Amino acid sequence: MACGELVMQEIRRRYVLPGDKIAEGNYRPLMNVIRTGNAVIATRIGIAETGRDGVKVIPLSGIYIPRVNDLVIGKIVDHTSLSWEVDINSCFSAHLPAQDVFGRDFSPARDDMSKHLAIGDMITARIVAFDRTRDPMLTVQDRDLGKIPRGELLKISATRVPRLIGKRGSMIQTIEQATQTRVLIGQNGVVVVTGRNPEGIKQAVKAIRMVEEEAHTANLTQRIKVLLNVPETPQEAQANSAVTTPKPQDQPVQDTMEEVEEELEAESEK
Amino acid sequence: MSVSKRSTIIVEHLRKQQMMDAISKGKRLDGRDFNEQRPLEIELDVVKKANGSARVRLGDSEVIAGVKVETGEPFEGLENKGALIVSAEVLPTASPHVEPGPPDEETVELARVVDRGVRESEMVDLDKLVLVPGKIVYTIFVDCSVINADGNLFDATSYATVSALLSAKLPVLEMQNDKVVDTGKTQPMPVTTVPISITAVRIGDAVILDPSAEEEACMDARITITTSEAGFCALQKGYTGAFTIEQIKKAAETARIKGEEIRAKIKELTKYGQ
Repeated sequence: MACGELVMQEIRRRYVLPGDKIAEGNYRPLMNVIRTGNAVIATRIGIAETGRDGVKVIPLSGIYIPRVNDLVIGKIVDHTSLSWEVDINSCFSAHLPAQDVFGRDFSPARDDMSKHLAIGDMITARIVAFDRTRDPMLTVQDRDLGKIPRGELLKISATRVPRLIGKRGSMIQTIEQATQTRVLIGQNGVVVVTGRNPEGIKQAVKAIRMVEEEAHTANLTQRIKVLLNVPETPQEAQANSAVTTPKPQDQPVQDTMEEVEEELEAESEK
Repeated sequence: MSVSKRSTIIVEHLRKQQMMDAISKGKRLDGRDFNEQRPLEIELDVVKKANGSARVRLGDSEVIAGVKVETGEPFEGLENKGALIVSAEVLPTASPHVEPGPPDEETVELARVVDRGVRESEMVDLDKLVLVPGKIVYTIFVDCSVINADGNLFDATSYATVSALLSAKLPVLEMQNDKVVDTGKTQPMPVTTVPISITAVRIGDAVILDPSAEEEACMDARITITTSEAGFCALQKGYTGAFTIEQIKKAAETARIKGEEIRAKIKELTKYGQ
């Protein structure tokens, strides 16, 4: 039935608060939801998605919760004789074993850890292990991982990271190309911008801040392009000229939903 | 009560480099000039049950001060003067670097520096706070709570203390049959001057005013200078680094000029002297 389908459509995605009932029935709780009896309840503020595989909530705010295989940017805050302690902008503090840097024949007596990574250094790392029994463990043994020698540092909310990356990296590519910079994004919300031109870096930082502040609003990529003076592609120009009628009041929510789809896609690609 | 680890905040090397680059160009990371303070907001009478109170926001640093008037014995050697005690605490919710527990050195220093500014400027005329000489005097407590710590707590707490004292109403007490009786009337606090503290820190060769928490984490030395209408009245040098004589002279001159501005602002707000 058309009416039934419409209702299903509305239920598929909507804004929820913690405690809101998202769905009733035999749904699988996936992310940021709990099951109470027959009902699935949101545990965070965000956008609830009811799909074929289950129910989840994409959070709109909150701290970074580590996940295995995440690429994070962390700050060395301390070291013991066997590992570095790394601040990964989360409530969990991560550890980077010294053996990961020095190799298996690492000796605390012979090797000087602070020569490799001093307190205050920034690193790009991948989370190799994390569960409820242990703090996140990191590795820098991969391409492009390790100490970050230079760049402009900024922090955004970890929930905004998929938005900053955009659909198939569209947002970040737009920013990088328009400002002639390289933007390194950690899943934990730490961002490092590098580039030769200080003006470009300034522009990129401005754009990233705008993405952070307006992540929940519609047409963001377009506005970022305007901010950075990116010329429209012929297809875009055509698409934009086609929309001549003013949008009704509730349209932004609709658009946001479309963009959330982008966000979900970016998330699943990750 | 707090165990603060504010001095152990680690600033990323990248961020420090950015800060040094900006400073070498005569600017700060938040775009301020070296002698520019963050916006100051003062709200009075925020605690209804206190005799006087103030909430001060200096940038993102936020402090609430409350004045409570009681009676007690005078301090030894100061039998003909009232007692004034300023205390301060940094709440654990003020910063991720503060833990619950007894106050640490930094918090004790904070209370002492603020107390010294008020005491040495002789802001409150303690001679007028005696009920029975040598036996019973007014005891004024100023309790400051740091709600949010984002650097320069010395100045924020000092402004809160001064504003709270200026807005305080002193209950009129009388001795009847050797007992203290509250007449139910109030009078303004006997204030003689308005002390203003100005804190400057040195990062590299630059001396900057009103440091944020990030700047404090990169500082080499710190100096807090308090001025009253009569001139300089208190000074505290903190941290391990040193200042040159020229830097101190310049900081003192800045403290005088900026002190005038802040004093005028606090006076206008509390209607002191009007």
